[in-house]
Amino acid sequence: MDYVLEILGPMVDGSLITIKMFAIVIVLSLPLGLLVSLLRISRFKPLRFAVGTYIWVMRGTPLMLQLLFVYYGLPFLPFGGIMLTDMQAAVFAFTFNYAAYTAEIFRAGIQSIDKGQYEGAKALGMTYMQTMRRIIIPQMIKRVLPPISNETISLVKDTSLIYILAMNDLLRTTRAIVQRDFDTTAFIVAGVFYLLMTLVVTFVFERLEKHYAAYEG
Amino acid sequence: MMDMKMIEVQSVYKSFGSLAVLKGISLDVAKAEVLAIIGPSGSGKSTLLRCLNRLEEIDKGTIKIAGQILVSDVDGVSHYAPPAEALAICRQTGMIFQNFNLFPHMTVLQNVMEAPMTVKKVKKSEILPEAEELLRRVGLFEKRNNYPSQLSGGQKQRVAIARALAMKPDIMLFDEATASLDPELTAEVLKVIGQLAEEHMTMIVVTHEMGFAREVAHRVIFMDHGEIVEEGHPDQIFSQPKHPRTQAFLNSIL
Repeated sequence: MDYVLEILGPMVDGSLITIKMFAIVIVLSLPLGLLVSLLRISRFKPLRFAVGTYIWVMRGTPLMLQLLFVYYGLPFLPFGGIMLTDMQAAVFAFTFNYAAYTAEIFRAGIQSIDKGQYEGAKALGMTYMQTMRRIIIPQMIKRVLPPISNETISLVKDTSLIYILAMNDLLRTTRAIVQRDFDTTAFIVAGVFYLLMTLVVTFVFERLEKHYAAYEG
Repeated sequence: MMDMKMIEVQSVYKSFGSLAVLKGISLDVAKAEVLAIIGPSGSGKSTLLRCLNRLEEIDKGTIKIAGQILVSDVDGVSHYAPPAEALAICRQTGMIFQNFNLFPHMTVLQNVMEAPMTVKKVKKSEILPEAEELLRRVGLFEKRNNYPSQLSGGQKQRVAIARALAMKPDIMLFDEATASLDPELTAEVLKVIGQLAEEHMTMIVVTHEMGFAREVAHRVIFMDHGEIVEEGHPDQIFSQPKHPRTQAFLNSIL
């Protein structure tokens, strides 16, 4: 027990990195994903194609590769390389990767809304933007909560990939402790930490689902 | 302006792919007139109605709403007014659907207040008493805080009518408003539509309710295969239809 208390300090520090990554990425990637999904169903064909290509690349290559490319590859771009700190690179890669996945979830949600809703809004004189903002997107959010909850929980755990950039998140800190002390207790503590974090996410989504359960449809 | 025309439709053509749905329809509706459109399914009567508020776009022809040109014919091709203008023209109409199309994520009261607040930017404090009054008129004030899923079909349709009226339209379009309702629920909706007729609302009612059409409409149009086959006073259409197709249709349903 004393040993657990001893390693708790650095592990909490690692968790803070994990939580910080998670919080920034979720706040950026959800709105970006919504924007991407709206572009994906736009009437402008070149735009649909460009967005489709972006989603294909993001979902079709490993997140780890994207992470490495943004951190090590971007500085060497032929026309003005971009040098990012490890945190910036990680946030950049994760945000664009998660936005691609959530965009497809949002798109499916938007397209599941009955076309009568568009007609009802249009017959009341609402523009396309007003219809999306007031009628379609609020109903879509209720329907996509379960899959978005899945993605969000995945993100909590996927943040551990940033160890590749030598960032001291929860998992990398844990590995360092295990290798230093030849004691695997830290793995169990890390597992408990991740479980606690995902428990909070699960709880938040349950509350949201309850909130939206006020109406059927 | 006793005979002011609220709707003028001239030689309207509309196809879905290779299927011609409207084949040169022309009709006028005067202010405060109630026009009933009857006909077999697939006759194009719903499509005609949906062209009037641009839920469908026509291929050829002219449509004027309250004297303003929504779409006109330029060298045999339909030419719509600029988007903002077209939208403003269409806002003079309200439409009631067979499937209600209420917004399920909003309460009854929110459904009624939504369009005035979002489209016309009316303040909530201004629209609230109006919305409550409209709900009283359709007998649903007590249900104002319920969600649509908690209402019967007839109640939903009455909310839909209140919602459309909240935009103060000059013309109401009813697209088989009672087709998905049980007979006893149909009666309560027809009563509300009848009240609107008494208040001199201009209306086009696409309906299967022949008794209602006969009672409330000033004029009846019988459509078949995308054409107006016969039109006239309800008594004439229902008692002495002239055209064999009208006779056959009325015999098949009465």
